[in-house]
Amino acid sequence: MIQKWYDPFSVGEWVRRTFSFLNLGFLIFTVAFGASEFRFDWCEKLLGTYLLSINDLRPETGALWELGQKTSNANNSLNKIITQREDSKRSVQGADSFSKLVESLGSGEWVTLEKEQFKRLYLTLSPGIGRQLIDPSYLVWLLNADTTDRIFCEGMTEGISLYFIDSQNQVVHQIDLKKKTIAEIESGNAAAPGGLSQMEAFSNRIYPSGQFFDAMVKLPPEMISELMVDPALLLKQEGSIQRVGIWNEADGGYIKLGFEFEYRGETSVLIIQAREWAVWQLSLLLKGQTP
Amino acid sequence: MKMFLRLISFIRLVFFFSLVVGATGILFAGFLIFHVAGDLPKLPSPLSRIIETPQSLIYASTGQLLWGLGERKVVPLEMVSKDFINAIVATEDHLFFEHHGVNKLRTLKGLYVTLFGAGRVQGASTITQQLAKNLFFSFEQTWTRKFKEMLVALQIETANTKEEILSAYINQIHFGAGAQGIEKASQTFFGKPALELNLAEAALLAGLPKAPTNYNPFRYYERALKRRDIVLERMVATGFISSIEAQQAAAIKPTLHQKRLDARSGSYFLDALIKELIHTYGEDVVFHGGIRVYSTIDTRLQSFAQEAMKQGLENLDALMGIDSNNSDPSEKNQTEKDRPQGALIAIDTGSGAIKAMVGGRDYYTSEFNRAMDSQRQAGSGFKPFLYYAAFQKLGVHPGTLMTDKPVSLEIPGAKDWEPRNFEKHFTGNMILKTALTQSVNTIAAQLVTLTGPEAVTALAHACGVNSPLENVYSVALGTSPVSPLDMATGFSVFANLGIKHDPFLFWRVEDAFGRVLFERIVQNKRVLDPALAFQVVDMMKAVVDTGSGRSIRHLGFDRAAAGKTGTTDNYNDAWFTGFTPSLCTSVWTGFDKKKKLKGVDGVGITGGRGAAPIWADFMINAMRGEPEREFIIPDNIRFEAVDPSTGCSPEAGSPILSVPLKTGQVICKKVIP
Repeated sequence: MIQKWYDPFSVGEWVRRTFSFLNLGFLIFTVAFGASEFRFDWCEKLLGTYLLSINDLRPETGALWELGQKTSNANNSLNKIITQREDSKRSVQGADSFSKLVESLGSGEWVTLEKEQFKRLYLTLSPGIGRQLIDPSYLVWLLNADTTDRIFCEGMTEGISLYFIDSQNQVVHQIDLKKKTIAEIESGNAAAPGGLSQMEAFSNRIYPSGQFFDAMVKLPPEMISELMVDPALLLKQEGSIQRVGIWNEADGGYIKLGFEFEYRGETSVLIIQAREWAVWQLSLLLKGQTP
Repeated sequence: MKMFLRLISFIRLVFFFSLVVGATGILFAGFLIFHVAGDLPKLPSPLSRIIETPQSLIYASTGQLLWGLGERKVVPLEMVSKDFINAIVATEDHLFFEHHGVNKLRTLKGLYVTLFGAGRVQGASTITQQLAKNLFFSFEQTWTRKFKEMLVALQIETANTKEEILSAYINQIHFGAGAQGIEKASQTFFGKPALELNLAEAALLAGLPKAPTNYNPFRYYERALKRRDIVLERMVATGFISSIEAQQAAAIKPTLHQKRLDARSGSYFLDALIKELIHTYGEDVVFHGGIRVYSTIDTRLQSFAQEAMKQGLENLDALMGIDSNNSDPSEKNQTEKDRPQGALIAIDTGSGAIKAMVGGRDYYTSEFNRAMDSQRQAGSGFKPFLYYAAFQKLGVHPGTLMTDKPVSLEIPGAKDWEPRNFEKHFTGNMILKTALTQSVNTIAAQLVTLTGPEAVTALAHACGVNSPLENVYSVALGTSPVSPLDMATGFSVFANLGIKHDPFLFWRVEDAFGRVLFERIVQNKRVLDPALAFQVVDMMKAVVDTGSGRSIRHLGFDRAAAGKTGTTDNYNDAWFTGFTPSLCTSVWTGFDKKKKLKGVDGVGITGGRGAAPIWADFMINAMRGEPEREFIIPDNIRFEAVDPSTGCSPEAGSPILSVPLKTGQVICKKVIP
């Protein structure tokens, strides 16, 4: 082993250098550093304090925050459903006609309709027209005899369905209202431009007004009132009745009668409901048979 | 001297090398900390914010709370048994109150074992680190994840007291069986608040978080007790209890909360319900939206259904010579696989509401819901659909005469179909009512050739059988697999004389504020002619009164009921589906694998022996207290007496059978060639 110029020349020198103040101080510092960390956890505390100081700058990630996000998503989804439902409900509550009711609900949307509101909407229709929707006496049973608990109104692709449900959620009566049907019902108060000949459902059952009324007056008075359930509608029309047609099929005990009016060279048709049995009696007279 | 100098040089080298390594390590760690610190997840303040997810609640139709999804009852430390706190600390981190988030010695030891112990990985997570992991990190085992978890643990320790950390920890750990948090676990397993747990119970619960499924005491009671003994040993070792106290606690076998166990057994229903809710609203709304679900299940009927299934399957075990008392946990699972399974579903015929459902022998052994999701051949149980199709399409009626004789049908491209009777002999002439009552296959085969299989499958689908059905002749004998739900739905239509209701699991869904999200309305859909449906019902009544389902009467069910047994050719499946005017129940028994149901006497077990007793047991209890009701006879139905072997008016001394006839139908008129 070659002796370097800076190496100590004796053991004493070695010992002196090894245990110099600098070395001892360094050793003590290192040991104290390690021991104090194990004893006081200051390194962890220092780090913890540092991390705490930057807490607000860090991202909201991890399972806990994802859970919060999921809760937030859930609330948003639920609020969306509820808001949509409440919008529909407001819109339905504001509807003053069946056509507006139909417009208020998109396909798949539903609301509960108050019984009183249905009554109000129904009473906007003339009695004859209302019958096309539901027989008034049946409606009295449904709404006034506590048969119906609520009316469930559901939007469909082509209109709405109204479910009269009892307290057990059983459907007691169902009305499917297509947009087209609603429009027809609501326009039933006014005559539509055109003539009876253009309406296939009346073909072979169109009579001159004179023949029709001659036959009608031969019927007993109580039968005439069943034939003209809503004569006020006819009186309101301008012009004179030229021809009367009888619809080719009955629906719910009623048959439609079409009255063709002429006014200032234009023809129009007003359709009203008549009792099937009364129309049947009238038809016999029109065909020259004795009822 | 030379040696001394060398030694000194070596020590000097080691010292300075250690200094350099240490300094480099500190520098590297510092760099790493600053590098990852910005990406660490933000900690909520206070830590108790972890409880803020609202729970969704599921109620029974009878009003009881069935289950809370995401349910976590948070309790302060003062409301938790001291024994549990000691047990969990002793087991998970006995130096918890001494360290600052990280147990350095355990970490170094873990590091050494992981690095130098071949193939061994030793964890050293403290309670704080576990909390950090549970709150923010995945369970992926990576160094980065461990490092981040350690840093977050340090912050948690700095920002919270030990009590706050321990409280957060015990309120969020999973104990299995759907229980998260100590209060929920205590209620789930022992039906008592966490404050009232004794040492034996507390130690058992403290052992569960390590492997909640493997130590689930509802399922592996003995295994959970062994784990509890380890917890007690740890408590002795760490000085929380004496060894005498440990011995005393180890001698106690805590009684599990039976009601809760039952609730989980009813989980076949809950699983199906949750699946449907998720399909409708999505997972976030179902698990985190705090919704209220009013289900259709009737807890009283559910309890009867579970009991009937348990008893029925035990009887079946005995019939088959299977030992049902094997309590060895290690063998129990294997034994369970060798036992027959069962399923039951009960539907309210007036609405379609599913009132009770049992999807298998034991939910903990198998979560597969056989009541809704299994597809098994129904055997003769399918014949009512055939008979209705024949009445409708061929104009025949229950009094129509046919001949039980050997039948061979040519099947293009396949072997001739030669269906045989269960009894292996042919009886000759008989009316259709007798043919269904005695489940005569040859007559069913003749009918399906006349109606065509399409008419049968179309009818079954119209009645609510949703499983795909093959348009083959043998479909009339029930060769197309269906579920018990299919059968119950389809037979409900007969019970309603042709009115169909779609089956459903919940009536109403509300948000946390009571605002209605969904409400079920019950619509009647007429799919069958009431008079023809009644004729089938009358024939099915005869099955229960005198036919293959007469065991129902022997077992004491004396109300008006109709039904049909079903047994597949090889005795793999035994069915009974039957109904009163208000409740329709389908029961299936069989093995999950294709295996015969065979008694110790070597005789195959039929629907009448295997499934009908379960049906009877359930229905006797389910209908108790309900008003007696008969099936409504339609106005256009009249009854006439016929001789079952001629189909004509009976002569003096000949047997008499009453058959319902629709207006226009006459007896003694042979319409079938």
